[in-house]
Amino acid sequence: MNIRLDPRTKLYMILIVSAVVMMSATTPLLWAVRIIITLVPIVLLIAEKRYASAFRFFALYTIALILTFFFLSDESTGIIKSLLTGYCGIIAQFLPAMITAWYVIRTTKIDEFISAMQKMHIPDGITISLAVVMRFFPTIKEEYLAIRDAMKMRGISLGGGNVIKMIEYRMIPLLFSCVNIGDELSAAAITKGLGGKIKRTSVAVLKTGAADIVLITGFTVAAAVFVIFKYFV
Amino acid sequence: MMKNNIEIENVSFRYKGSAESLLDNFSLTVKKGEVLLLCGESGSGKTTVIRLINGLIPHYYQGELEGNVRVAERDIKETELYELAGTVGTVFQNPRSQFFSVDTDGEIVFGPENIGLATDEIIRRKQETVKELDIEKLLGKSLFELSGGEKQKIACASVSALLPDIILLDEPSANLDRTATEYLRETIIKWKKQGKTIIVSEHRLWYLRDIADRVIRMENGRIKNEWTGKDFSGLSSESIQKLRLRPLTVEDTFSSENDSSSFLDMPEENAVILENFFFTYKRRPHLFFRKKLTQADEDILTLNIPKLRLPKNSVIAVVGSNGTGKSTFLRCVCGLERDCPGVITMDGKEYKGKNRTELCYMVMQDVNHQLFTDSVMAEVMLSMKDKNEKACEIILESLGLLPYKDKHPMALSGGQKQRVAIASAVAAGAKLLLFDEPTSGLDLSHMEMVGQLLTNLARSGSTVLVSTHDPELIGQCCDYILCIDKGKVGYYKIKE
Repeated sequence: MNIRLDPRTKLYMILIVSAVVMMSATTPLLWAVRIIITLVPIVLLIAEKRYASAFRFFALYTIALILTFFFLSDESTGIIKSLLTGYCGIIAQFLPAMITAWYVIRTTKIDEFISAMQKMHIPDGITISLAVVMRFFPTIKEEYLAIRDAMKMRGISLGGGNVIKMIEYRMIPLLFSCVNIGDELSAAAITKGLGGKIKRTSVAVLKTGAADIVLITGFTVAAAVFVIFKYFV
Repeated sequence: MMKNNIEIENVSFRYKGSAESLLDNFSLTVKKGEVLLLCGESGSGKTTVIRLINGLIPHYYQGELEGNVRVAERDIKETELYELAGTVGTVFQNPRSQFFSVDTDGEIVFGPENIGLATDEIIRRKQETVKELDIEKLLGKSLFELSGGEKQKIACASVSALLPDIILLDEPSANLDRTATEYLRETIIKWKKQGKTIIVSEHRLWYLRDIADRVIRMENGRIKNEWTGKDFSGLSSESIQKLRLRPLTVEDTFSSENDSSSFLDMPEENAVILENFFFTYKRRPHLFFRKKLTQADEDILTLNIPKLRLPKNSVIAVVGSNGTGKSTFLRCVCGLERDCPGVITMDGKEYKGKNRTELCYMVMQDVNHQLFTDSVMAEVMLSMKDKNEKACEIILESLGLLPYKDKHPMALSGGQKQRVAIASAVAAGAKLLLFDEPTSGLDLSHMEMVGQLLTNLARSGSTVLVSTHDPELIGQCCDYILCIDKGKVGYYKIKE
């Protein structure tokens, strides 16, 4: 199964998911809407054969929900319960948006993205900055893994038990190499004509297919149901 | 008469905030269709010349620029960078940082898209480039999955798709193995036939020997010597050595058939013994317990070395093409791959799993990843179990780092950083030192320094494994050559 979505649909999904999770769910119906729209990106991740991340997100979210509904309440007291409330609150609130963003970053090619942004008449400055950010995620990951290896070899993965050192040892080399790579990257991109006054073309063909229409309709309905039942009923 | 395509007149340049000037009253003209090779030590100004021509100086890297630069009848100072995109193309040294896209197709069309060509023209150019450079196999892949050589192919293709008249290459072979370098040579020959003007700045000279029409050797920002391509190929190896250049011919040390593994019978106490080094990236699905890899899993093994003896106190070169398991081998030896069941025995003591990191230390190709603190001294102390300043200073002294002990490691030169990494390995008590391509992109003097360092480490009681593509380094300092081929030991011999 291979679903190719228009980047615009994906951006719309991020928008709706973020908006819905920002409004607190109070009734079972609102929870149901929220859970359904969280399941959509998980299903999409499975369709992309990214089983591991789909499973991880699903497990995290399910655990947070179960804890919230069955073990925690407004009357919970004690350190563990208050920590758990914090954890579950954050997961239940923000994970859906994170899953969607993760899915979008993982499945959108940069030229598709630029092309979609151009179709929406977003200024080039914004488009290119966002494209660079997207381009940078895998690089950061690569660099981070190399640094983690280096720390393992030195036996300082735990920073000698000092949390601040643990972060410092990771961040210093990471920042240095990201700055260097970023600098070389922009030099290379500029010599290939990025940032010129000429209007950029794009070979990425954006097709809005059935899946896009279904998702856009679905998400619009979900958002409408959420808002209506929360504020007007 | 052929027109001059590039004219550099009396140019002096220094970067903003830097005291020394990189170019000093430098003049150069390049004719249309000429292939020019720039050589000379690091810091002699080769890269600066490349940046002058592609306009990154003065538009991206700012500084004080005097003199005139004209490229394809345009004054560089007055020309915006994007206007040069269809005229001057540049292949950079580092394959990791010259891509804007994350997939191969996107990268090839990136340039043509930027200059606003029509969609069908872009697709036509892409198809032509792909055919010409023979890279069909690489299409539709993520750039992060490619080997260094493959990335450089895509870099060449993305420059080629812009159809520039002038192509600049800044140390393009620094991270390439022999096969990939030969491919690069073919690409340059194709461009030359199309009548493009080509300037290559390079330390490795063998692959450009009979392509270059003219060779310039730079020193301290000036042209020191100039030859026609023919005269240059005629230079004796002694005079090349005297000019501090890397050799014009290299013997194919890698494809040797004669196997003289008799030294493998050496007594066990003189050897570091590696056993059961198996590893795979294609993990079988598992539920809770991962099955331990054995030789029986041969069909999926990326690394398959049941037993190997490394002679103590020697330098062993690890050779083989990109992607045949050299890096995997080094990663497994130093314990970075936990799934590898390998056992190292040295002086009667066994090191397994995580303990392997106590015995081994790897100096990575990008040494920036392994410097963590804010001074050289602190960096070395971090590795010591019992923090002893005296011992630390002795180590620094032996590596010539004592004058820099209070400097920030990131403020040092590449070679000095490498030595700081070695110092911390020595301080941690590592007996088996691994080097992952320590000389890629180095000039002759720096390469000889690394070679000397490796020899010294071996003489002072360490065993050194060094993965490399540089026959010059092997010739200088290695005692044994171990070839890894498809994850197995291809051959293993004493260097003649």
